[in-house]
Amino acid sequence: MIIENVLFAAQEVFHWKNLGLMFVGTTAGLIAGSIPGFTITMAVVLTLPFTFGLSPVEGLSTMIGVFVGGLSGGLMSGMLTGIPGTPSSIATTFDGFPMARNGRPGLALGLGVWSSFFGGIFSAVLLVTLAPSLAKIGLEFGPWDYFALVLFALTITASLSGEILIKGIIAGLLGLLVASVGEDDINGVARFTFGSETLESGFDFLPVLIGLFAFSQLLSDVQDREKARQPLMTGVEAKGIRVEHLAAIRMIIARWFNLVRSSLIGVFTGVLPAAGGSISNILAYDQAKKASKTPKEFGTGIPDGIIAPESANNATAGGALITMMALGIPGDVVTAVMLGALLIHNVQPSPTFITDNPDLAYAIFIAFFLAHFIMIIMQAFCLRAFLLVVRIPMYMLAAVILAYCAIGVFALNNIQDDIWTLFVFGLIGYGMKLLGFPLAPMILGVVLGHVAELNLSRAISLSGTADQFLLDMVSRPWALFFLIVAAFSIIFPWYQKAREAAAWTLGYLPALMVCLAVPLAMMQGWPRTLIAVVLALGAVYLLVQSARRGWSVSTNDAA
Amino acid sequence: MSVSRDTIVAILLLAFCGVLWHASYDIEITNYGTMASAVWPRIIIVAIGAFSALLLLTSLKQRHETVAEQAPSEPFFTRYRNAALIYALFLLFLMTLPTLGMHLGGTLFVFLSLTARGRPAPKRIFLHAAVAIVSIGAMWSIFTFGLRVILPQGEILPI
Repeated sequence: MIIENVLFAAQEVFHWKNLGLMFVGTTAGLIAGSIPGFTITMAVVLTLPFTFGLSPVEGLSTMIGVFVGGLSGGLMSGMLTGIPGTPSSIATTFDGFPMARNGRPGLALGLGVWSSFFGGIFSAVLLVTLAPSLAKIGLEFGPWDYFALVLFALTITASLSGEILIKGIIAGLLGLLVASVGEDDINGVARFTFGSETLESGFDFLPVLIGLFAFSQLLSDVQDREKARQPLMTGVEAKGIRVEHLAAIRMIIARWFNLVRSSLIGVFTGVLPAAGGSISNILAYDQAKKASKTPKEFGTGIPDGIIAPESANNATAGGALITMMALGIPGDVVTAVMLGALLIHNVQPSPTFITDNPDLAYAIFIAFFLAHFIMIIMQAFCLRAFLLVVRIPMYMLAAVILAYCAIGVFALNNIQDDIWTLFVFGLIGYGMKLLGFPLAPMILGVVLGHVAELNLSRAISLSGTADQFLLDMVSRPWALFFLIVAAFSIIFPWYQKAREAAAWTLGYLPALMVCLAVPLAMMQGWPRTLIAVVLALGAVYLLVQSARRGWSVSTNDAA
Repeated sequence: MSVSRDTIVAILLLAFCGVLWHASYDIEITNYGTMASAVWPRIIIVAIGAFSALLLLTSLKQRHETVAEQAPSEPFFTRYRNAALIYALFLLFLMTLPTLGMHLGGTLFVFLSLTARGRPAPKRIFLHAAVAIVSIGAMWSIFTFGLRVILPQGEILPI
């Protein structure tokens, strides 16, 4: 059956039209990713209008191409100019730029490109193997568990995406509120329409998304009049650079442990809702530096400093897709957009997604693999395109893209009201950014609003009363599990700030482990009980270690 | 007495919650379904209100703890002039869309945005016109002929 599905999906993915779209998508991603100020999310968001007229496989393959291309595109500008194209390439510049400046730009680019490739392939293998297994776990979820999972997704997004947690949570709640406008899915009653017929159908997800992300981003990019008039980059010297493929592959294979560790960090970060490549590349770089015998060499242009962040950021994509496909919860904002694309084609992502839509699921697996090969092929060509694009001033690009946003949004439903939605949410997004509110939680709130309400309603119906519902929320293992991680994710920003300074932080991890052991012990099957025991023992071990060190938080004190 | 930006935002959010809470009483109560349609929005409004109150308290506390915030180097209007100009032009584009249509309106929007923000030189104006015509023409063609989308036609130029 699996072979049949793979063959059927491969037939669609390797169709000449789909291949062409993937080449275009990956190239567009590579170029967009290389332009500072253009995030991968924005590139994927802008691809959406083109996918309306395509089949689900074609649309998603194109978006996956943009996603993978964007993750790898950021390294070009980072290495050649020291300015990362995307936040997911920040750590790549630490060693990539010095290596290029030291006369080895071809090797730096080769290491970046091939690390991205291997990291991506590594995560693709995990995607194929883990997503179906995780989906099986997802089938155990009842509406209580799903509601708790959405709460967890929102709290962790809020805690990871902004400097001020309260603002992140408010942004997430505003997203839920936006999703509640119009007729509700359960009773069909209009809400917050204020007498407007337009609002009765609610806000369409995509104009809201494009307004919040793309429109507001473009306005931020042109805010500085003089800067917007300058070419995107000046002084880029890349003529005559030849990417040193073979030397780079040899170096990466010799440092395979760093590659695997960084890729695993990337996948794990991607699996967590909202934690994307911008976090994983820095985490992987940090771990590579800590594990190195020569940490002082980091930052001077060494291969390990390029391999770690680049393999991690591409691996994050696979991790984010695992969560999206297995649970129907977006792993990051890019997968939130993909989830929206699936909804356009009437495909509802859920734990049954892989079993209900095997052709589409396996097509996503194959397209993710394929996109990495296309990325390798197109990188050399895109280096030239990159040199051309960076000569254009931002104000020109912004005006053209804004007009494109309007056309693209109209194409969704053929109604002009959607352009007004784009306009209003562009203003809201810009204002929120200026006021320090992160946009990622709001996007997730808009995407998950309906899922949260639907599951809350189902859960209350099944529980019978509100009291019983609350009791069920804490007595059902998975619901309790997600509520615990949600609670700990709220405390996480304080933990991160106080780490290595306050003694209470020594108890954070053990407390989390003990708390998680409880719902795991409540679950059926011995492996979960075993994990619960291991977690509890691990917590005890950590507490004993801390006590032995006299609850000292400084590593120097301990020494 | 100066008030911090977060304080104003928190107060506005609280007022917003008040308006929505009031509006939630207009939501029809049905005699079917276990959870009434107003329950979920009210839960969200209460949560936003609670966190806005927390933001208000935090901002007031921070204002007492920190030295007065440094005033921005540029006046408000100068700083956001460019963004405001783009919004105004986009609004104009939207309002004239039924008359001008997507093709003509889009071309004018791109041309005016470029000219308003680019360097004011005659040579540039020709460049801006060329960019506007080519880019919108290409996009219009892709959506009209490639994706079979019927874009809004204007009264002046029915394409």
